[in-house]
Amino acid sequence: MADIYIVCVEDEPQVLDVIVRDLAELEVVFPIEVASSADEARALIKEIEQEGHKIGLALCDHIMPGDKGIDLMIEMQKDPFTQTTRKVLITGQAGLEDTIQAVNKAKLNRYIAKPWNPANLLEVVKEELTEYVISEEKDLLRFMAVLDQERLQEVIRSKGYL
Amino acid sequence: MQAKTRKSPEQTKKITGLLLGIAGFCMPLFFTFSGLSFAGHIALGIFLMAAVFWMFETLPIYSTSMLVIFLQISLLSQQGILFSDASLPATAAESRGQDEWMVSASALDGNTIYMKTNETSYTSLEVEILERGEQVRVKSHDISQGDAIVSDAGHRLIGYRPVSFTAFFGTLASPIIILFLGGFILASASVKYNLDKNLTNVLLKPFGEKPMFIVLGLMIVTAALSAFMSNTATTAMMMTVAIPIAAQISKEDKFRIMLTLSIPIAANIGGMATPIGTPPNAIVIANLQQQGINIAFGSWVALMLPLAVGLLLLAWGTMRILYPPTIERFKLSLKSRFDKRPQAIILYVIFAVTVLLWFTEASHGIPSSMIAFIPIVALTVTSVLDKDDIRALPWEVLWLVAGGISLGISMENTGLAMWLVSSISWDMLPQLMLLLVFGLVALMLSNFLSNTVTATLLVPLAVSMGTAGIAGEGFSLVITSLVIGAACNMAMLLPISTPPNAIAMSTGFIKTIDMVKVGIVIGLTGIVIALAMAMMYWPLIIN
Repeated sequence: MADIYIVCVEDEPQVLDVIVRDLAELEVVFPIEVASSADEARALIKEIEQEGHKIGLALCDHIMPGDKGIDLMIEMQKDPFTQTTRKVLITGQAGLEDTIQAVNKAKLNRYIAKPWNPANLLEVVKEELTEYVISEEKDLLRFMAVLDQERLQEVIRSKGYL
Repeated sequence: MQAKTRKSPEQTKKITGLLLGIAGFCMPLFFTFSGLSFAGHIALGIFLMAAVFWMFETLPIYSTSMLVIFLQISLLSQQGILFSDASLPATAAESRGQDEWMVSASALDGNTIYMKTNETSYTSLEVEILERGEQVRVKSHDISQGDAIVSDAGHRLIGYRPVSFTAFFGTLASPIIILFLGGFILASASVKYNLDKNLTNVLLKPFGEKPMFIVLGLMIVTAALSAFMSNTATTAMMMTVAIPIAAQISKEDKFRIMLTLSIPIAANIGGMATPIGTPPNAIVIANLQQQGINIAFGSWVALMLPLAVGLLLLAWGTMRILYPPTIERFKLSLKSRFDKRPQAIILYVIFAVTVLLWFTEASHGIPSSMIAFIPIVALTVTSVLDKDDIRALPWEVLWLVAGGISLGISMENTGLAMWLVSSISWDMLPQLMLLLVFGLVALMLSNFLSNTVTATLLVPLAVSMGTAGIAGEGFSLVITSLVIGAACNMAMLLPISTPPNAIAMSTGFIKTIDMVKVGIVIGLTGIVIALAMAMMYWPLIIN
């Protein structure tokens, strides 16, 4: 069975640690992989694709040495492999122009301002992954315990059969 | 990341199933079983293959059904490759004096010979054997000069009258399938206009704030809805009611287990109550219908509702002991907002009319499958349901059931079912033991297999025991079939037993052991209650 990955891209190791810690409870179902730059993220995405897995959500910092987070997200939106991936930008300093770009060109799903509230981050990620599995996956039962149960049950109800 | 190198157990299971299934299909080609017709051998091959594919889920279960129908039309129909140009070989009887005739040894089947009446049919005749040899001298005064005697008693037309391919295709439009379609249409419209949710909220109100009564309410409402809707959809819908409640309860409180477990159990049980509640009921009804026995909608409810109510109370009582609530009371937020658009109103009316007509079949005599066409027509001409809704109906369930019914036809008319059951001298067993055996086998199988598949494999056997009269006195094929049907619906031991169980398990609130504990009590006590009803109550309704 293909695994659905969460990919976090952030140049500061301490911040990355905090993100991973905040999302730890999802890891039983959604393996988390990290990258510290856009280049590293590209290699990681390619590796996940080659292994036959999927990426459900990308959580990306904006200001990083090298390519910016938004550039990476626009690229992901163009690549069929990551087009359906839910994209969350997590940043303290993205200007208006960058944000507009992110929404229009990268089809950004969520924007989280730094510093964030851990519970809020987890909730946003759960909501986005719930949307991802509803549109991309057939067997919703294996996500029930970690994602938005009511929403998933509702989908099963309207389909009638599993 | 770990690389995917090992073959998954899923795949191994599929390949094993595929090989076993093919082997099962081929086996009757290499072995000849005495007492089983040529067509019976073919049917046995199809039966074995289907059983293996259904058990191992080598193919999706509905596509196994499609394959069954395909094999039947190609191999067993009058127009198929084996029977389209088949005709009985015959020789004329040679007279040897008064009532004595010479026939070839190959024409004899024990002491029976077959008299050809036309290219494909014959009548059988018992004769007295006087002298054996390459030619056998037999005595019978029913033979006259020039009669054509079938020269090969093992011919493929002996013991089987090929049916038209339309009989197999026809299962897809059989009355019970149309009845189900009507049910699907009503259920789909109810979900679309949130009738199920709003009804739930209204019906739960009288159950107050005490945890035990709220659970009882949830169970009753779940069972009532799942008697008309799919058990799966009902469970998912009720889970959306239960999840906010579960969120109010601490993780350590066992009451969470009870809350989560009560819903799939009630949904499984509720499916028993009406003919359209769950597919195994369809298999029972269709098999009986082929024997000319019709069970009206209302009669089915009269037969099964007491059992369902008994099991609900049993489950409730058992869970009350195992998972007592610690909190005193909690409040449900029940807001019902019934859709008041004209289309929703049409749905409410059609729903009520249909159900009313179903229950009053005895007074107006219109078969329930004809009534089922009312919602099909009424909800589509009024655009309550549109093209997309029709496309989204669970058609594969209808295929699954149709394939099951179709397999049953061949098991019966090739003599396969009779041959399978006749190897055991059932008449030694008292009726009660027989029911117990069937009930336990059905319960065991359907804990691991789809309930529909279990019913498909077992009900034709029970029916043929009844028609063959080999089961001894007091045997009722109706009652035996009902016990099998009920037992199939009582299987809820494991998460894989039924889709509602899988849903409950996926919430993460319960462990498999919880399901097993309650499942054992329901399964075993359920069989006992069903047997008691089979002996004392059902005969009153049927006769």
